Amino acid sequence: MSQENLLEIVSVDRTYVDTDDNTVEALRDINLTVRKGEFLTIIGPSGCGKTTLLRLIAGLDRPEAGEILLAGEKITAPDPQRGYVFQQGSLFPWLTVEKNIAAGLKARGVYQENKADVAQFIELIGLHGFAKSYPHQISGGMAQRVAIARTLINRPVALLLDEPMGALDTFSRADLQDKLLELWENDGTTMVLVTHDVDEAIYLSDRIVIMTPRPGKISEILDVHLPRPRQRGDAEFMALRKNLLEKFHLASSMPQPEYAI
Amino acid sequence: MKPIFDIQFMISIVPEILKVVPVTLNITIVSMFFAIIVGLISALVRIYKIPVACQIASTYLSFMRGTPLLVQIYLAYYGIPKILDYAHTYYGWNIDVNGIPAIVFIYFAFTLNVGAYLSETIRAAIQAIDKGQMEAALSIGMTTWQGLRRIIFPQALAVALPSFGNTVISLIKDTSLAFMISVVEMMGQAKILGARGLQFFEVYIVVALIYWIICIIVERTVIRLEKRVKQFERGRSI
Ligand SMILES: Nc1ncnc2c1ncn2[C@@H]1O[C@H](COP(=O)(O)OP(=O)(O)OP(=O)(O)O)[C@@H](O)[C@H]1O
Ligand SMILES: [Mg+2]
Repeated sequence: MSQENLLEIVSVDRTYVDTDDNTVEALRDINLTVRKGEFLTIIGPSGCGKTTLLRLIAGLDRPEAGEILLAGEKITAPDPQRGYVFQQGSLFPWLTVEKNIAAGLKARGVYQENKADVAQFIELIGLHGFAKSYPHQISGGMAQRVAIARTLINRPVALLLDEPMGALDTFSRADLQDKLLELWENDGTTMVLVTHDVDEAIYLSDRIVIMTPRPGKISEILDVHLPRPRQRGDAEFMALRKNLLEKFHLASSMPQPEYAI
Repeated sequence: MKPIFDIQFMISIVPEILKVVPVTLNITIVSMFFAIIVGLISALVRIYKIPVACQIASTYLSFMRGTPLLVQIYLAYYGIPKILDYAHTYYGWNIDVNGIPAIVFIYFAFTLNVGAYLSETIRAAIQAIDKGQMEAALSIGMTTWQGLRRIIFPQALAVALPSFGNTVISLIKDTSLAFMISVVEMMGQAKILGARGLQFFEVYIVVALIYWIICIIVERTVIRLEKRVKQFERGRSI
């Protein structure tokens, strides 16, 4: 991992107004730098703004204040350079596995010269034999792998993953985590992963960003120095896990501000 | 005792009515084709809240839904020649107003009328598609138009299909108004045939049956399409 910075998030605020006209400070004064090639995890309780932050990086939403730079350039719109894997399934239901994966290439008119990539990615995610299946015919774990392949085929410099394993059982989850590490180690793609699973965060990341809600803020950034490949039962792993859970617990039970009525 | 209606006569006029069925289908298909374009444009303009165009679209919809179809047909029939005549006289447009066949005014009126109803259907269908689909499309490098065409429209079409089928059936029935401006479709033909032997009741029974059969065929087709499309809707949420 180099020390070169890839993503710079500078003093970002994002406030939503909900249907009852209440304002929700989804993000307040977020400052974060993501290094090129690093595996960064964002962790925090529900509603702390993880998805909001990732959407801003993806260019699917704009910050109210502050800015986000990718390699020095301000992010203003979605771009295949920043692959995004959605929290909710977002495969195109009318397209087969193969066509889902090829969709980006076709859209950019580079399908003919990269045709071989499609088969290669299907192989890589272990979906050999499912190329012609439709999304409703494959399992949730498979679908998420297709979603990852669909973005990786565009050779993004950063892959943004919003709880891609949230809805998976333990086995598919461990399987997908290893797949993700394999892809990361092969390509050196910078990974930004949102999760609320402490084990997942330790198993995968170089650094862990802990966020707290109302307003959504970064409370701490933790370096994970464990050697790879990591063992989930390791003493060091367990120590870090305990440490993180304590912080996490503390972070999520911080006193709520009191409002005068 | 004389039978209440003359079956012999009814059978004898079937071929004569069937002869003009293509006119009915022609009005339906041509108007539907242009109505889809009008409906799509006015739906997109409102979804993306494009200034000015959005207000124009809303006014258009409101007018079309708030005035009777027959009035709209007469407006087209008497209005368009007047406007063209004006343009001919004052702007030197070279148009022979009298050379325009009446069916053109029918196309025009039906396109705008059906377009307004389709606009609502199309808008609702597009908005029923998960926003994530468009975002996924954009984030893998599609343009908004590519995302609409390749990802959103096919799914929206599936959602809109039942309502779309109803619109087609209404349109087929409404084509019977075309005879008011002397386009000889089924109703026009019925008037002519009925007047011949003053057997209007028989003629209209035949006409009704033919409309009914056409509408049943359309309905069945739509149901079959819906079944084909349903399989993709079972998509799981991951
Ligand atoms: N489009 C929106 N309109 C209104 N409020 C929103 C919107 N998007 C997010 N919020 C609010 O902003 C806050 C942060 O939401 P966000 O989805 O980023 O949380 P999260 O950390 O991803 O939560 P989870 O772990 O449940 O996915 C929440 O309080 C949420 O209700
Ligand atoms: Mg979220």
